[in-house]
Amino acid sequence: MTLLSNPIYRREMLSRLRSWKTGTAVIAVALLSSTLVLLRWPADATVDLVSRGAVLIFRPLAFAMAMAVMMLVPAFPATCLVTERQAGTLALLLASPVTPWRLYVGKMMSNVVLSALMISVGLPALSACFAMGGVTWLDHIVPLLLVLLTMAVQYSAIGLWVSVRAVSTDAALRWTYGLILLGSVLSLGPHVLVGNIAGGVAHAAQRLTVLSPLPALQRLTGSTGGPTSPGWESSWQVFVLVACAISLAFSWATIRRLNPILLDRPRPTGRIVGRGAAQASWWRRLAYLVDPNKRTPGIPRWVNPIMVKEFRTRRFGRLHWLIRFVSLCAIVSLLLTVLASLGTVSWGVERIAGSLVLLQVALLLLIGPSLGANLIAAEIESGGWQILRATPISPWRVLSGKVMSVVWTMMLVLLATLPGYAVMSFIQPTLSGQVENVIISLLVAMSMVVSISACISGFMRSAATATATAYAVVLSLFAGTMVIWLARGRPFGVTLVERILLFNPAAAALSEMGTPGFEQYRLTPTAWWVGLSISGGCLVILGWRLRQLTRPD
Amino acid sequence: MTAVENEFVVETVGLTKRYGDFVALDDLNIHVRRGEILGFIGPNGAGKTTTIKILVGLSKPTAGQARIAGVDCSREATRIKHLVGYMPDKFGAYNNMRVREYLDFFAAVYGIHGRQRRDRIDGVMEKTNTTSMQDKYVESLSHGMQQRVGIARTLLHDPQVLILDEPANGLDPKARIEMRELLLKLAAEGKTLIVTSHILPELARICHTVAIITQGRLRAFGRLADVMQQLCPLRSFEVQLLRDGDLPTAVDILGRHVDTRAIEVSPAELAIRFPTADSEQQLAGLLKELVSAGVEVSQFREVAGDLEDAFLSVARDA
Repeated sequence: MTLLSNPIYRREMLSRLRSWKTGTAVIAVALLSSTLVLLRWPADATVDLVSRGAVLIFRPLAFAMAMAVMMLVPAFPATCLVTERQAGTLALLLASPVTPWRLYVGKMMSNVVLSALMISVGLPALSACFAMGGVTWLDHIVPLLLVLLTMAVQYSAIGLWVSVRAVSTDAALRWTYGLILLGSVLSLGPHVLVGNIAGGVAHAAQRLTVLSPLPALQRLTGSTGGPTSPGWESSWQVFVLVACAISLAFSWATIRRLNPILLDRPRPTGRIVGRGAAQASWWRRLAYLVDPNKRTPGIPRWVNPIMVKEFRTRRFGRLHWLIRFVSLCAIVSLLLTVLASLGTVSWGVERIAGSLVLLQVALLLLIGPSLGANLIAAEIESGGWQILRATPISPWRVLSGKVMSVVWTMMLVLLATLPGYAVMSFIQPTLSGQVENVIISLLVAMSMVVSISACISGFMRSAATATATAYAVVLSLFAGTMVIWLARGRPFGVTLVERILLFNPAAAALSEMGTPGFEQYRLTPTAWWVGLSISGGCLVILGWRLRQLTRPD
Repeated sequence: MTAVENEFVVETVGLTKRYGDFVALDDLNIHVRRGEILGFIGPNGAGKTTTIKILVGLSKPTAGQARIAGVDCSREATRIKHLVGYMPDKFGAYNNMRVREYLDFFAAVYGIHGRQRRDRIDGVMEKTNTTSMQDKYVESLSHGMQQRVGIARTLLHDPQVLILDEPANGLDPKARIEMRELLLKLAAEGKTLIVTSHILPELARICHTVAIITQGRLRAFGRLADVMQQLCPLRSFEVQLLRDGDLPTAVDILGRHVDTRAIEVSPAELAIRFPTADSEQQLAGLLKELVSAGVEVSQFREVAGDLEDAFLSVARDA
């Protein structure tokens, strides 16, 4: 039976090809790749065919395309099954003669084919690299395309697996991007921390790096041994094999779950334990610090009710979940600092501080867009916005309540990682000034993530689209500037990289701590002003949009 | 003249709403007295939601005026929001929120605080019979229960007027009866209700006044009995036969008295239905004529017209 006869595949392809989102993604990749080539296209009358010019442009191009795959590919598979379940169409499909296998293949292949289309628009740019000399099809371009395609398959498999288990679209997106971040970036963390120690732990950390496509890309683009790669050794063939194995495992797990039992979930009704169960209540208070089964008090007069509502309607927004989350952040932060102070890592305080900054930025990027993008779009989608409009609450209170609910969550996450900095300042008191600057940079990063995501939310009517767009924009800003940084010196000069890094307050934090690779840039305080201007601009646009949305039609 | 003087709590005068060339609402004039229930009927896209949005202050009319308790709906939108309780057709449940928390949130939004808020929440839960589910998550409730919570929410700020968009939609028969009783109770307490519904027999049982609207124009408005009289002036009769062989003869005889195009024959039921304006004597003569022709008649009865007939007659003409 051919793929084209699969009704799921045909329907998915038709609906996605009709969607403006697919067109936008393809155009974005085409623009990105062609711009990178045009920047370095030789302007002289003669071309040196043995020069490294093409390799220099091939490197950022490869990373930019990988980043595009990372950001754009997972959005659809992460939401497709959960959206179908919410709309009730998954029940129809599972009750039809379509087998789970065909259902899965239809969804998976439509995403892979469209990802291949998106990757293929980078081919002219890659061909240009070939024409410039120094880059070959067999050694560079074909392996790169294989790595990108494998990434697309792997991320689609992960997205579908999350989608079949998630209860909401934003949770599905958050978990999918979280898992991808874990596999692609955080899997390199142990090697960065303990890679230079002999023994089994270092060996295990080394093995873990095969989960990430970055070492394979580093090797493909000839960056191994450079200042940014601490001795990663996995080849692209190993990555492709491991990624295929992971994809198969996730696919098997998803297909197993695709049956009518999936829909047979009881709706959580909520449970309040009465006064009689004092002992149980005491235990719960001990375990969670607050009793999650106790009836919540009314919203106090002095608190913005919209903010309280936002916290209460989030699955992990309740106090007992926030306490657990913040505690976890504090423990990880302290653990990193203890590692440094015990001398098990010979990298010194700067690298540990860099790890802390990266940990905080990863948390901001993982949580912020999802929370911010749901503020308005989810309210409109659920029908709650119409009801809110019919109440006397002012647009200003709605805006402040919603934004502050995200700001407080982000602040708690940042505050939880502060103990690490405190210990660091204690070990090396001269660092306290830098630590202050790092904290300011992180606060600016937080304000950017929140305001950009909230602004995007105001213009979308679907929570899933808003969340995916927010992740794409925020990651482009934070990770995209890092792609340019990766190509620092070759082909981009220090001045250009510095100017671009001004848009990334996380880079400002790293440069403040003197993290290797960031020492030569002076980004503060200009990066703060740039970040605050972007945040302010986004909030002004959001305020204007909110006035539009709340005033009579 | 103020609302108190003329007792009209809700009043629209020449209400018109245009979107470019499209006229969504054209010169709507309706009025509802205190404690009355107005059934607002119309097919999809007729202009019901547009009217409701103007009354709630979510939309501005292109021309005309809408007033609630004498307050202009478009000029004093904030005051209107305190006077009206609005339940849209989409419930707008928030995930992970318990019923009590949901009501507490909206009470806070309406600026009700402290003890007054607690009392008000307890009161509306008791009135809508939702006290037993106060600790349950809103999204876990059945549709009927969610509708009750929705009405509880609209009552929190003790509004004079309740505007309910399709409150009986998707409810099972038991929940529908409970909803009907609840709406009648609220009207008896002096609340003015504007209710839209596609379930017309349901509306007919609770409404004092009906407004039928199609393509943005008001087709009929007034007391239910008056509207019925206005739209269905002909009475509908049904003749039930014993033998199917008598059907052609019966139709032939009836055709001499009424328009043959209006005669509906149901061979499976051995029944013939026809509208007529004849008097009782003329109908007795018709029955006699049928029997004399050898037609075996088991029943000859009047079929009561309902709101559905009235609505269909308007929808046909539109």
